[in-house]
Amino acid sequence: MVVLREGMCPGLDEGLLRDLRAADVKTVEDLVSSDIEELAQKCSVSYKGLLAIRRVLLAQHTAFPVSGADLYEELLSSTAILSTGNPSLDKLLDSGLYTGEITELSGGPGSGKSQVCFGVAVHISYRLKQSVVYIDTTGGLAAGRLLQMLQAETSNTEEQMAALQRIHTFRLFDVYSLLDCLYSLRSGGLQQASVGGGSVKAVIVDSVSAVISPLLGGIQNEGMSLMIQVAGVLKTMAKDFNVAALVRVTQSLMCSALNARGISSVNPNPSQDTSSSYCFET
Amino acid sequence: MLRPVSSLCLSPSVKLKLVRAGFQFTTDLLHLRPGQLSAEAGVSQQEALQVLQAASADAAGGGVTALELLQKEAELKSIVTFSSQLDEALGGGVPVGKTTEICGAPGAGKTQLCLQLAVDVQVPRCFGGVEGHVIYVDTEGSFLLQRVVDMAAAAVRHCSLLAEDEEQRVAMETFTVETILSNIFLVRCRDYVELLAELHLLADFLSARPKVRLLVVDSVAFPFRRLLDELSQRTRLLNGVAQHLITMATSQHIAVVITNQMTTRLRGGQSQLVPALGESWGHAPTIRLLLHWEGPRRLATIFKSPSHMDTTVQYQITADGFRDTEQPELPQSKRRQT
Repeated sequence: MVVLREGMCPGLDEGLLRDLRAADVKTVEDLVSSDIEELAQKCSVSYKGLLAIRRVLLAQHTAFPVSGADLYEELLSSTAILSTGNPSLDKLLDSGLYTGEITELSGGPGSGKSQVCFGVAVHISYRLKQSVVYIDTTGGLAAGRLLQMLQAETSNTEEQMAALQRIHTFRLFDVYSLLDCLYSLRSGGLQQASVGGGSVKAVIVDSVSAVISPLLGGIQNEGMSLMIQVAGVLKTMAKDFNVAALVRVTQSLMCSALNARGISSVNPNPSQDTSSSYCFET
Repeated sequence: MLRPVSSLCLSPSVKLKLVRAGFQFTTDLLHLRPGQLSAEAGVSQQEALQVLQAASADAAGGGVTALELLQKEAELKSIVTFSSQLDEALGGGVPVGKTTEICGAPGAGKTQLCLQLAVDVQVPRCFGGVEGHVIYVDTEGSFLLQRVVDMAAAAVRHCSLLAEDEEQRVAMETFTVETILSNIFLVRCRDYVELLAELHLLADFLSARPKVRLLVVDSVAFPFRRLLDELSQRTRLLNGVAQHLITMATSQHIAVVITNQMTTRLRGGQSQLVPALGESWGHAPTIRLLLHWEGPRRLATIFKSPSHMDTTVQYQITADGFRDTEQPELPQSKRRQT
C-alpha cells in the first residue's frame, strides 16, 4: 500500500497520475491489482506504457530470492559472536551473543537483569572496543555502576573514559519515543553513533516491557500492535546491520512476539563484583 | 526501512484515517503539504500539520554517551536520611533523579522516613544538602504535621550546632521550622483517580516551582489495593504511574520516593511477607528499600538497586526522627506507633 507519486518510475507523470486518480487508482497496490486493459481504456493512455509502469513497480516492491549457499557464505562472513564477559553465560549461549539475533533476558525484580546488560555493555566497549547503544526505559541505568565495572577491569582512567564514550545511551520512557529512536537508528543513526569508536555491535533495550505494559490490558488493543512494531524494527535492525540486540523484559510477555533466545536469571543477588557467579538456566 | 504510520505518536482515529486513505508509511507523507494531506485523508488542517511534524521528526539526536551521563550523575546530589549507616549503604542517601520505593509492614517507619526526607531535602547547600522543596502526596492520611515540626526543629538544631563559618551562619537564618514547613507542598489524594489526576497535573506545578527536588507518594499501594475487581486494569494503570514517575524523576531531576505496603504470598504451603501490588510493579522503582523488624531491632534492607549491594542496616526512630542506633550491640529502639 504505497501511494503513487510523480517520479516513482519513468512514465508516471502528473497527467497520468491525475487520470489514474480519477479512475480511483491511488496506490501501487491499486494499480498492480487492477485490470490494465480496462484501466488503459478508462484513462485513455497506452496499454504498453501502463504495462511497463506496472512491471517497474512490481520489481521495485518485490523481494528477491537468495540461494542458501550465498546466504550461508554471508552468514559466515558477517556474523560476529560477542562475548558477554561471563564465561558460564557464554557457554550457555554457545559462546556469546550472536549479531543478527535478538537475545531476550527475563527475570524477577532485582534478579540481576540490568547487571547483565551493564556487564555486556562494558565488555563490548572495553574488551572488544566496539560501540554499544543502550536504551534505558526504566531509569535504572547508572553510569556510576558502569564506571565501577570498568574500574574492576582496568585502572587506566583514559581507557575507562574511552570505553564509557563508546556506550551511547538514550533515556526514553514511552513507547512512541522508543519507536522514534529505533526507527531513526535504523535509518542512519547507527552509523552516526559509531563515529569516533568501533562500529555499533549491540543494541541493548532495558526494558521493553516497561514501556509496553502501560498500554496492555483493558479495552485498548493498540498496545499489541505497538509491541509487534518494536519487535519488528529490532529484528530488521539486527539482521540488516548485524548488531546483537539484547532486550530485557520483565515477564514472558514478549516471548512469542520476538521468537528470541531467552535467558532467565535465577540468582536473586545483583552482586557488586563484575565477575559475579550468576547461575543461569535455559 | 519504511516506518509504518501506525507507529507514530498520534491519536488512533487520525492514524486510522491515514491508513484508510492509503498512507501506510511515513515516506508517503513527506512530500505533502498540510493542505493536501487534510484534503486527501479527511483530517483537519491542524491534525495534518501534527501528522507531518511527527513523520519528519528525527529523534536520534537525543542520545548521550555514558561518559556524559556519568558527569551528569556526579552533579546530582543525594538526599541524606540522617542515618549515616543507611546513607553509606545508599551511597550518600536517596538519589536525586531516581525512583526509590520504601516497603514495610505497618509501623515499620515508612512514613517516618518520608517525613524525615521531606525535612532533609531542605538542608542548605553549604551543609551538604540539596536545598530543595518537596511535594508530598498523601493518600493514607498519615501526614502528621506535629511530627514534621518535631523533625524540622531537630534538623535546625543539628545544623545550628554544625554551623562554623559565616556562610553557614547566614544560611541558618533562613533555615527555620517556618521555612521548612512553607516549602512542603501537601497534596491529599483520596482515591486512585485523584492520584492519577494529580500526577498528570504535577508537570505544570513543577515548572512553576523549579526548586522542587523531592516527590513523595505515601503510599501508592493504598488507593490501588481497593481497585480489586479489575486486576488487568490495575496493572496497566500502575505501570503507567511508574513510567510517569520515572519520566519526572529523570527529566526534572527530582528524587521520587514512593511507599508500598506488604502482602502475604503463599508458596509451597509457606507464607511469606512480600511487597504489595504484584511482581510487575516490582520492576518499576529503581531502588527498593525494605523496612522490617527482627526481634526488637528495626532493620532497613536494600533489596533491589542497579548500583548498590544488598545491605542491611539498623536504624531507630527517635523523637527527633529517623536516626542510627547509637549502640548497635545494645539496641535501644522502642516501637513507636505512627
